[in-house]
Amino acid sequence: MNQFFLHHSQSKELSGFPHILEFAIRKNSTIQLNSLSLTTSDCISIYYVMEGKFEWIIQNRHTILYPGDVAVILPGQTFQGENDFLDIGTLFWIHIKVDRIESNMQMVLGKWSGLSERESLTIGRILHLSQTPVLVKMKPILSILQLIQTELFQQQIGYTTRVNQLMDELLILIARQSTLQNNLQRDFPQAFIKLEQALRKNLAHQWTVEEMAALVGLGTTAFTERVKSYTGFSPLNYLINIRISEAIKLLRRDSVKVTAIALDTGFYSSQHFSTTFKKLTGYTPGEFRKRDSLKD
Amino acid sequence: MECIITIELGTNGVRLFAFDLKGNVISSTKASYPTFHSEPDYSEQDPEQIFITMLYVLKNFLIESIHPKKYKVQSICFIASMHSLLAVDAHGAPLGNVITWADNRGKKEALDLKNSQLGKKLYEATGTPIHPMSPLLKILWLKKNDPERFAQTHKFLTLKSYILQQLTGEYVIDYSLASATGLLNIHTMKWEGQALDYAGITVDRLPELCSVFTTPGKLRKEYQTSLGLSASTRIMIGSSDGCMATLGAGVWGEDKATITIEDSGAVRVVGKQVLRDEKKRFFNYLLTENHYISGGPTNSGGVIFEWFANQFGEFKGPFDLEYTIESLIHEASNVVTGSEGLLFLPYLLGERAPLWNPNARGSYFGINIKHERKHFIRATIEGILYEIYSIGKMVEEHRSITSLSVNGSFAAIPFCSQLIADIFNKPVSTINKANSAGLGAFLLTATDMGIYRNLDEAAKSVTFYETFHPRHHDHKVYAQYYQLFERLSLKLEDEFEMIANLQQKS
Repeated sequence: MNQFFLHHSQSKELSGFPHILEFAIRKNSTIQLNSLSLTTSDCISIYYVMEGKFEWIIQNRHTILYPGDVAVILPGQTFQGENDFLDIGTLFWIHIKVDRIESNMQMVLGKWSGLSERESLTIGRILHLSQTPVLVKMKPILSILQLIQTELFQQQIGYTTRVNQLMDELLILIARQSTLQNNLQRDFPQAFIKLEQALRKNLAHQWTVEEMAALVGLGTTAFTERVKSYTGFSPLNYLINIRISEAIKLLRRDSVKVTAIALDTGFYSSQHFSTTFKKLTGYTPGEFRKRDSLKD
Repeated sequence: MECIITIELGTNGVRLFAFDLKGNVISSTKASYPTFHSEPDYSEQDPEQIFITMLYVLKNFLIESIHPKKYKVQSICFIASMHSLLAVDAHGAPLGNVITWADNRGKKEALDLKNSQLGKKLYEATGTPIHPMSPLLKILWLKKNDPERFAQTHKFLTLKSYILQQLTGEYVIDYSLASATGLLNIHTMKWEGQALDYAGITVDRLPELCSVFTTPGKLRKEYQTSLGLSASTRIMIGSSDGCMATLGAGVWGEDKATITIEDSGAVRVVGKQVLRDEKKRFFNYLLTENHYISGGPTNSGGVIFEWFANQFGEFKGPFDLEYTIESLIHEASNVVTGSEGLLFLPYLLGERAPLWNPNARGSYFGINIKHERKHFIRATIEGILYEIYSIGKMVEEHRSITSLSVNGSFAAIPFCSQLIADIFNKPVSTINKANSAGLGAFLLTATDMGIYRNLDEAAKSVTFYETFHPRHHDHKVYAQYYQLFERLSLKLEDEFEMIANLQQKS
């Protein structure tokens, strides 16, 4: 495969794509000291290993990449060569700019993407929660990168749309593979506890069933069935359970205002919180707080 | 019509049964809650989440299955797993999570006490093996490692005490659960002063002791309204899962034993006397002042086979473990008894009875070139059941057992029940209703209502569903392999310690 290097500031091929910062194939045949020292990424960097063996430290995790493996480095993550240099071998990479990064490291892609905002946030969350920045044996990624390359160089009619579509496809594939790789779709309790931890970490977020299902790597129908048979509750009712139990904890701390508790635990208003709380516990939040503080 | 509801607060979730007064199941439901392992030896659950889950599922259960059928709820009886510990402040608010039976943080504390003169004394007085599972050692751990939480603690509760306090406002604990805390003298039925001293607490830090038949108080008004229950619905404190599973298995008599295998497992007997053991291998828990439930627990139950299935089973669809387990059992049934000389030691989680060695590890032994995947499947099941047998043998040093009753999701698989019969060389019965703990709680409540004259009569009312008879040829084969199994388990003690140390470092 021939080497090439496209950079958004110099290459006319990228002029219609301000969100593609770099796109390149590089064959590295000599080791140069300090050629890959510690940097913090400001974009989504996707590296596909074509030849060689690369030893990198991504977000303080030591990783070894072999041909066919893919490394995904997200905005804000640190990245360096194991020995501060780039190993010998051939890499194919793309650097994608994100429009903005919301709290909790949620990425919003630009207008170029056909993904809905919610979908792109979910993909961002999946990648952030991923235990490993490396996806192994990912030949399909190479095919997509090659298609992008062909489109960019041939510039046939519709190529702008096509390139953007391919980039969406790339991100979707990476997100799906990442959930699949992180849970082997065997041990549901284990996959579910990971989900539970993600929910608890960000209870204020308005979680949808689609998002929850995506984190476990299932479609929504199969996910809902699994959750129902495993927990006894529908996904959203399970979520309400966690919300109310967290709210009880906060109610027992006198300093926190009820409205703040409602919002912190993911209810959209204190009214909504109050009715749900009363329906489940028999007390309004205020009554509950009074009950336990009147003691002795 | 009247009904009795039983609520079991188990390790993985809550299970509810409604019985009519004849003991027929009207309806049942369950829901699960997670266990968190924030550190390798930690095993914790969120008390508020458990409370809300229980309340939510109880409410749905009443609305969907009980109220429409016009049943009046006479009593609600509670069952809970043993050895849990929850510290609460003066307002009854939990200080941190519930520490479950599976928590091993008190390893060092356990080792120190076990090797002391006091350890022997406390074991004999309290009936609870000196092991990190024991709340005594958990309290001691908190005192040493989390002095702030220890100082703030108004009461040290079990999970069930917390749930009952939420529902009724009272701090109570039944003798059964109390006898699994390592703090109760099972002979005098009072808190054991030496144990309390050792843990560094006074009696007022503990809930009030009462019999399993006690009504701690009325359900708070708000819960009566929200659940649609009347003030006359009686809350009954109930007992522990182990004691209730034994009662519900209908095993009542010195020549019988129950085998329960869910994720973990146990072999239990009932008696008027405790089992005294020089090697401190048994537990002796109280059901009532006249009944001790004694035996040995194992870590290596169904959870080990699930591990095997997750690693080596063939999955039809995502997360379809049930299908995988079914097909593995089917494959195992096509291998000859004894797996053609392949043996498995199931100590993936360390082991409690009879080894009481947290460093024990699993192993396959005797692999030869002719062994195939299917032999490993069967050997894994046989290994889990040999381990159960090793506890049974230890019990038989004290009692002569003529028949067995099995329950629990793993033991109740017909293939496993038959293997238990073959390995033990004794007839094995299963009860009709899958859940014997729930049935036990029904029998307890019904006895208190006067439906049965006493627990002995209640236990006799349990009808058996199916009996598996031992096959003598198979027993002979298992008996030979078991000897080897036992020798390996004992012989590897030093190697277990070496490998556990290496694993800790890696």
